[in-house]
Amino acid sequence: MNIAPQTLRIIALVLVLALVVGFFASVIPNYFNARLFNRISSSVAIMALIATAQTLVILTRNIDLSLGSIVGFTAFATGSIVSAHPTAHPIFLVGYAMLVGAGFGVVNGLLVSYARVPSIIVTLATMAIFRSVLVEYSDAKSITAGQLPPWLVDFPNTVLFEVGGVEFRAAFVAAVGVVLAVHIALSRLRPARQLYAVGSNPEAAEMAGINSRRTVFVAFVLAGALAGLGGFMFLARFGTITVVAGLGFEFKSVAAAVVGGVNIFGGSGTALGALIGAVMIDLIDTSLVRWELVSAFWREAVLGALILTAVAVDAILMRRLVALRIRRDKDRHAQEAAK
Amino acid sequence: MTLKSLQSWEGFLMCALALIIAVNVVRAPEFLTIANQINLFQLSIEKIIVALVMTFVIINAEIDLSVGSMMGLSACAFGWLFQQGVPAEAAIAICLVIGIAGGLFNGYCVARIGLPSLVVTLATMIGFRGLARVLVEDRGIGDFPQWFDNLGQKGFIGPVPFGLIAFALLFAGLYVLLQRTGFGRKTYVIGTNRDVADYAGIDSGRHKIIIFVMSGAVSAFAGLLFAARVGAVRGDVANGFELDIITMVLLGGASVFGGTGSLFGTLMAILIVLNLRNGMALANITGHIQTGVVGLLLIGSVLVPRIDIAGVLRRKERAT
Amino acid sequence: MPNPVLALKAVSKSFGMTKALADMSITLFAGEVHAIVGENGAGKSTMIKIMTGVHQPSAGTLEVDGKLLTLSGTGAARAAGIAAIYQEPMVFPDLDVAENIFISSSLGWVQNKAALRAKAKGLIDRIGMTLDVDRIASGLTLAEQQAVEIARSLSQDVRVLIMDEPTASLSAHEAAQLRRVARTLAEQGVAVVYISHRLEEIFEVADRVTVIRDGQHISTKPVAEVTSDSLIADMVGREVGNYHIKAPPQTRPEVMLSVEGLGCGDIFRGISFDLHAGEVLCMAGLIGARRTDVALSLFGIRPATEGSVRFKGKTLRLVSPAQAIGLGIAYVSEDRRKFGLAMPMSIKSNVTLATLKGILSPAGILNRQREAEIAEAYRQRLNIRTPHVDLAVGMLSGGNQQKVMLAKWLDLKPELLIFDEPTRGIDVGAKAEVHDLIRAFVTAGGAALVISSDLPEVLALGDRILVMREGRQMGIMDHAEASQETVMRLATGQVAA
Repeated sequence: MNIAPQTLRIIALVLVLALVVGFFASVIPNYFNARLFNRISSSVAIMALIATAQTLVILTRNIDLSLGSIVGFTAFATGSIVSAHPTAHPIFLVGYAMLVGAGFGVVNGLLVSYARVPSIIVTLATMAIFRSVLVEYSDAKSITAGQLPPWLVDFPNTVLFEVGGVEFRAAFVAAVGVVLAVHIALSRLRPARQLYAVGSNPEAAEMAGINSRRTVFVAFVLAGALAGLGGFMFLARFGTITVVAGLGFEFKSVAAAVVGGVNIFGGSGTALGALIGAVMIDLIDTSLVRWELVSAFWREAVLGALILTAVAVDAILMRRLVALRIRRDKDRHAQEAAK
Repeated sequence: MTLKSLQSWEGFLMCALALIIAVNVVRAPEFLTIANQINLFQLSIEKIIVALVMTFVIINAEIDLSVGSMMGLSACAFGWLFQQGVPAEAAIAICLVIGIAGGLFNGYCVARIGLPSLVVTLATMIGFRGLARVLVEDRGIGDFPQWFDNLGQKGFIGPVPFGLIAFALLFAGLYVLLQRTGFGRKTYVIGTNRDVADYAGIDSGRHKIIIFVMSGAVSAFAGLLFAARVGAVRGDVANGFELDIITMVLLGGASVFGGTGSLFGTLMAILIVLNLRNGMALANITGHIQTGVVGLLLIGSVLVPRIDIAGVLRRKERAT
Repeated sequence: MPNPVLALKAVSKSFGMTKALADMSITLFAGEVHAIVGENGAGKSTMIKIMTGVHQPSAGTLEVDGKLLTLSGTGAARAAGIAAIYQEPMVFPDLDVAENIFISSSLGWVQNKAALRAKAKGLIDRIGMTLDVDRIASGLTLAEQQAVEIARSLSQDVRVLIMDEPTASLSAHEAAQLRRVARTLAEQGVAVVYISHRLEEIFEVADRVTVIRDGQHISTKPVAEVTSDSLIADMVGREVGNYHIKAPPQTRPEVMLSVEGLGCGDIFRGISFDLHAGEVLCMAGLIGARRTDVALSLFGIRPATEGSVRFKGKTLRLVSPAQAIGLGIAYVSEDRRKFGLAMPMSIKSNVTLATLKGILSPAGILNRQREAEIAEAYRQRLNIRTPHVDLAVGMLSGGNQQKVMLAKWLDLKPELLIFDEPTRGIDVGAKAEVHDLIRAFVTAGGAALVISSDLPEVLALGDRILVMREGRQMGIMDHAEASQETVMRLATGQVAA
């Protein structure tokens, strides 16, 4: 039997997710029902997109700490467009949000791949810069839900279809659709595989004639576009946008990606994994609030422990696996030599 | 000042600082008042204290994202302990121990288990913050003893507050430690090339643990200072401080790849950031924009020397 | 004769003052396996780099299919159908075999997994390997990774495949597998350049064999016309004139280091020797002989798993460099950049790196004046050419860097010094100085273990010579019994110990 490690990781994540749900179901009365799904699905829609964006960048051995600021800016910019022109077409708005996000991604990408500044420095700085662009642009005003057309505010809660009380709401379906599309693209599109190649072994990528600069650049631009889409979702869900919109998303997205099995050193990980990571974090977040035995304030502490455990277990398991493989190969060779 | 130091990064920072101060003096007459000068430090005193020890962490080729959360945890632990009736003096000691324990945990995960510090301290950044919230939940805790609040708010020697004195003493002590002792030398060597250090018989793992412990302990101290200065604690004390702190150190010339940087550079960067922010505040520019300008400065600081080097190389190539 | 695919015509290459290749001419034909042999440092890797477009020749030309061609970079070489695989394969550990093969091929946007797998399977079959194309590269053995790389080059229509020491870190079984691959490729019309230190495999795999020495072409003959003795004679015919013939060894009874049956996992085993005070023991061998691993075990970096070590009469288990250093054992690494020097730091701080304790006050403060004095003293004693000791060590020439590294370990006042390739890549003058230094060290009562791939150096320096091959001790001999031929025979496995 030969299951790819990526598939194995996702199966393991789903199992852990099931265990977590099972655990909470046993300690919280009336836990496992349609409302649980509805609640988590509407809050996870945004983070799933940001975590996917972060995954694209992490795959290439980089990190993007400016995603939160991009979300904030695009949410505000899109909000101000739609409040000025309430009749603007939804497709136009989504396109606008993604384009603005991609524009920020271009800045990051240029600085990282062409000016060769380490991504952690670049995005640490652009995180602050993009946020101050937002402050300047917004003139310290806020967007409120009242300024937005009703279709936009209703969008996240529109129930597309319902299966026994489990509501599939528009924002969630759209987000999952995008994540799945990215997931499939990452595994099926040949240019996307170069993201993995560059993160997996930059030297070999160079030798194999892959243009790593362009690859990294594109990763940042796509991440920006996805964050822009996240900004649009943010606007629709919250309606009220202030200058602190999206603050903290940068770290939360890294956390979701890492919990979802994306290797922080690049080269391996999937969008589906990042989605499950985001779900896991949200699930623990919302469930701890309902667990009477423990104060809801434990949720961040638990989240920290979760990230560390995920990384440590992954690192240790991987070392074990490699050692096991080597031993098996050796046995095989010994046998062949004996013949 | 010699010509050599003028050419160096620190020299460049000094010139930038002089320029900023000159602009501030011209534009805002109240800039040079003692009150404003003390206020300038006081507003960011916790960050600049932690930036000193963060310099060690980054020179050592690691990063500690958990400092802001450790400050929060320490402040909240103090508040909680005080509320439980523990005397403030004992609470302070316990908080410092918490800082040491947190640093030990980070260091152990990095140096002995071999996990990347970016991930470890990202996790503890969230985790320590979580513990802080567990302790104070959504309350604000205040009404600390008068002597404790005074440490943060009043002049300690003349008009100079305790925090500033602590900063000065810590700077002097850490400066000697980094630039004048074997410990400091090892910090640079390990950050430059860990293998070379190990081959020379230096226990780099132990060294890294010590540096994370220093980082934890100083962050805990800074958190206490925050509690004293504000006179109350909440769960979000020092939230996001890690970014400002790391920015200051990188601006000061430390490389994220380790091995380079100096406390003098960090001090210059601190003064630049403080004066820049103070000047902008006097000109009524908001905090977020101030941060953006510091961000621009950070990118510029990495980019500018790079462009110059590229140009020199090209010219050299042409010459040969 | 079939068509010449690639030809070097009178190619020379210099790096600064050193001439790595001189007037090298060689022609490769489609369908042949062409072996190239030579000592370490004979110029083989420079030649490969010229063939693959990494370096451009200082003089001379390259012809592909009889037409003049300038390889401006690795991309141009790839386009001309020239590819190389190395001892350390270049694969993407996170991708599967099929993807590794086709990662940079232009196969359109969408990846058709089934088609990719089938194509990959075809290529793997073509080279006569059995390998599941769905496996992730990180789990492959070295030989399998090399097969992946070969398949990748085949997918890009390779016409000249250079295999640089492909079998040096492989087991016998894997090496045989790889040799079959080389033959298969040649039968399919590829020109295979096969570089190896294992003479016996050259007889098995090659059609023709070229010997190079000191950057010069010595001979090219059909393999049927050479014997291992004639190859060795061609390889080693070097001038010994550059080296002083050393003073006859004084007999010193005191055994400093006694090693008995030392082994470490699968890496090496059965190493036994005595090293006396006042003696230089040279370890000779070729790439993959595992001499450095023995040194690392003696220095406590990779603790031995079997055998015993007695140092000055005490039985020891060496587990850390700090412990070894404390006992007076120092190891001068062959890789200055990786393990030897902190390049951006000053000469003086590098010199005192291993002896920091000696220049600290009781409070731990560095005595910087003392440090400068120590560094200055070594600058004069070792004749380190530098304006001052505050200079970053990375700014010095290779020879002077080497002296700084030696100063670091000499300052420790060690009793046993292990030198790993102490003169590799440094100029003749500096070489002689390093040799004098090693002599002076043992004359003062120290013991030196010198790993060197430079045969004349081994013969000039060693009071005794230990030859290793693929992790085994092939023999140990006195200076008087040793000649270039005897050592090379042992190192290439031509005679049993």
